[in-house]
Amino acid sequence: MNIFPENVSTYGQDIDQLFWLVLVFAGTAFVISVFILLYPLFKNHHSRIQRAKYITGEGKAHFKWVIIALCVLTMSDFIILFAEHHTWEEFETLPQQKDAEYIVTGRQWNWAFTYPGLDGNLGTADDVVIDEPNSELHVPLSKNVFFQLKAKDVLHSFFVVNSRLKQDCIPGRTITRWINFTKEGKYDISCAEICGIAHSQMRNFIVVESQEKYNTYIDSLYKQHSATAGGN
Amino acid sequence: MENQRSLSVPIIRVPQGRLAMWVLIAGELMIFGGLIACYLLYRLRYPEWADQAAHTSTLIGALNTIVLLTSSFTVVKAHEAANKMDLKKVVLWLSVSIGGGLLFLVNKGIEYTTEISHGFTFSSPHLQAGGDTIGSLFWSFYFFMTGLHGAHVIAGMVVMFLALLNARKGKNLHRVELAGMYWHMVDLIWIFLFPLLYIAK
Amino acid sequence: MAHTEHKQSFLSKYVFSTDHKTIGAQYTITGLFMAALGGFLAYVFRYNLAFPGENIPIFGQLAANQYNTFVTCHGMIMVFWVAMPILLAGFGNFLIPLMIGTDDMAFPKLNMLSYWTFLISAIVLVASFFVPTGAFGGAWTMYPPLSVNGYVDPNPSFFKALFYGSSLMILAVALEFTSILMGGINFVVTTINRRAPGMTPWRIPLAVWFINIATVIFMFSVGPLVAGAFMLLFDITLGTGFYDPARGGDPILFQHLFWFFGHPEVYVLLLPSLGVLGEIIPVFSRKPLFGYKKIIYLALLSAVLSVVVWAHHQFIAGIDPRMATFFSIGTILISIPFAGIFLAFMATLWGGKIKITLPMAWALGFIGLFLIGGLTGLFLGSNAFDIYAHDTYFVVAHFHYTLFPDIFFGFFAAFYFWFPKFTGKELKKGLGYLHFWLTFIFFNSTFFLLFFNGLGGQHRRINNYDLFSNINIEPYITFEKIATISAICLILSQTLFIYNFIVSWRAGKKAEKNPWQANTLEWVADSPPPHGNFETVPTVYHGAYEYSLPNMEADFLPQNVQAE
Repeated sequence: MNIFPENVSTYGQDIDQLFWLVLVFAGTAFVISVFILLYPLFKNHHSRIQRAKYITGEGKAHFKWVIIALCVLTMSDFIILFAEHHTWEEFETLPQQKDAEYIVTGRQWNWAFTYPGLDGNLGTADDVVIDEPNSELHVPLSKNVFFQLKAKDVLHSFFVVNSRLKQDCIPGRTITRWINFTKEGKYDISCAEICGIAHSQMRNFIVVESQEKYNTYIDSLYKQHSATAGGN
Repeated sequence: MENQRSLSVPIIRVPQGRLAMWVLIAGELMIFGGLIACYLLYRLRYPEWADQAAHTSTLIGALNTIVLLTSSFTVVKAHEAANKMDLKKVVLWLSVSIGGGLLFLVNKGIEYTTEISHGFTFSSPHLQAGGDTIGSLFWSFYFFMTGLHGAHVIAGMVVMFLALLNARKGKNLHRVELAGMYWHMVDLIWIFLFPLLYIAK
Repeated sequence: MAHTEHKQSFLSKYVFSTDHKTIGAQYTITGLFMAALGGFLAYVFRYNLAFPGENIPIFGQLAANQYNTFVTCHGMIMVFWVAMPILLAGFGNFLIPLMIGTDDMAFPKLNMLSYWTFLISAIVLVASFFVPTGAFGGAWTMYPPLSVNGYVDPNPSFFKALFYGSSLMILAVALEFTSILMGGINFVVTTINRRAPGMTPWRIPLAVWFINIATVIFMFSVGPLVAGAFMLLFDITLGTGFYDPARGGDPILFQHLFWFFGHPEVYVLLLPSLGVLGEIIPVFSRKPLFGYKKIIYLALLSAVLSVVVWAHHQFIAGIDPRMATFFSIGTILISIPFAGIFLAFMATLWGGKIKITLPMAWALGFIGLFLIGGLTGLFLGSNAFDIYAHDTYFVVAHFHYTLFPDIFFGFFAAFYFWFPKFTGKELKKGLGYLHFWLTFIFFNSTFFLLFFNGLGGQHRRINNYDLFSNINIEPYITFEKIATISAICLILSQTLFIYNFIVSWRAGKKAEKNPWQANTLEWVADSPPPHGNFETVPTVYHGAYEYSLPNMEADFLPQNVQAE
């Protein structure tokens, strides 16, 4: 059984692998510690021992074992830190190549999506905003997709389980994160920061599709939008 | 009760009250320290707060600084007098110190009234005298910091008054020192607030 | 005054008492009542999670906002109204004066005031359930803006806003802090000033050291949060904009202030329990505490480090990546001294003459479980994995694996260890072991599976996963059910403790003065210690852990007895 849900982003794999790496260290430490804890309970049971050894552990002779253990632990810690730093950078640093960008705004209790419109720029008059329950954000496959994450009222947290991306959205700030999806499909967007009564109802979808399908969708979306805008 | 008390023999002979007062002062300083740190972070983010700070009255602020410093000095005199068991002087110097606190509060009251009448209030998001909503946050900090400090001034005056009542009857003279320590703390905090809120413009 | 001194009425003996043992008992019992309330809340929302939409026995339907409220208050209660009173105030009051050989706290009246303030704070919190808005439901972290404008009315009047659940919770916490500060001043002053003759700093038992270090950490980290909580209260009631981004405020500021306190708070809760382990393990290993002085240095080091780790709770809150690395390193560094302390405890066992008794069982269970809690912290401390694990059940399981052993195993270890001292009675052993094993098993079956739920992507504070088709799947649904049933069993097992407590107290066998043959000064006093504790002031001749000294027949040497 796979303990993680299916991964569909380029950096998701690294994050999952990091878990196994830390598990190796933590597991080893756990086994050793349990041995250190349990062994004397059997070996030094009071029925077998005449008298305990008088060891204060103050001198170097004995305490050095603790120091050695701590040094090993520190080293493993820094190995983990070193290993994960690469993944953290990958996640934190935006790639040079930006293929698509959207604004995702959290509000009580829905995710609102903003497409750049025909001019391809966000923050212009022809932006298309979709703010409906259960709405979908369509993004192209295998492209560096950027999200400008915002919040309208309270804190929210943009969480796409299958991409491993989680990022708090903070009122008054714009935080840009990116995903490169590796598989087509429809994935949940949930909110991972408590945001009020309907926090559990805050669910939208991200639809990953091939460039052609995506283009078709976007075209029809923009057409539909300009039709309604023109009608007004 | 008394004979049970004497069972304990302190090893380090710091008077209990003084020790407790140090711990209390450390805790209080952390509260103000946190508050000042928050203020500084915002202040660095918003240079436009300088325009708001220009509306504070440096004159009254400076006057209040002098008043507090003087009353800190008179509290030291009260402590000296208490060491010499000179009860009359203790009462005198403590009264002067309390008077200093009172003068401080009066000045503060004048300041607050002027500021509020000019539309600088604790929570109003819009300022009458120009400035934007961000500027109003300066005033929130200003009123919170000086208000909390003012509350400590009042507390210090109450403590000194209690010490004075005790001293009149000649008992618990060590409380004069404790009240003085607290008063010095009140003074010290003001020394930080004054440049941060009034002078930095 | 004089003639009433010896005949204390019930009120002055048990209610308005200035005696440190009575106050300790008051704190502990209040804490246990709050624990029952916190446990009940947990039962209700766990039941709702496992069987969504069903009627909860002895409660009924749980609405979404109630779910939030219950989760929030469960956290608040367990940390501030169970762990703090029992571990810090309770242990501190019971142990400090007895262990350092004095009759009472430095300021007994302040001590009493501290308890009554605490009781009022608990009442304010419980009362907040009954105000129109209901108790606060925006998570125990109280992050603004939700805590500020979570209610419908945009411009409430001051008094209306003051009786919001959020305002009342802030007031309750503020009162609780005040109470612990008053108690803390007492602890520090008592320890510095009122030690028995000969009780030099390096002879003070570990428990007293650790309670004091915890107190100092508390007092130094709480200040900024007090200021921050006031700002939050002003935002709610007076309409200021300290955390309102539309008015130049910053909601992240509160997170910094909260965690600047919130993370050291973890150590505030951990250290007193570790101190208790430091007392119990040497006694039942008949061996000196391994590296006593070094343990204290490590604890002092961790106290210093504890103020540079807070932002690891905010890795995904959009803080500067360089800052994230800094706090990641800080987090790693602070794990080192605690690992050292636990290693030293385990090293104490080696070469000892180990007798498994009830307190020892709880102490060893503590170490074993905390190991899991501590090691899963490694996953969360590495910030890249935290992107995924943050705010999932992985975190929930992690901190329950640290806090549950800390609070309850620590408390029960202390309870079974010192019960004979403070009541003069023996506990029923069999019941005690049954209680231990049931608690141990059901605790694990409650929380271990939740790690997998977290890794599977189940995020926290969701009352119903129906909408999320990709995480609301088997085996997670079954895991939820197992966890819930285990949690109910875990809560029910505690009735054994209550039964044992009451029956043994009323009709238990009379205990010896020093049943475990321990060295520290509290065992010199009568059981139960009278008002004033000691008949004569004990004089201290050596450290607290002189077990199995060579050239001596007895394998222990009480602190007040001179070596031959």
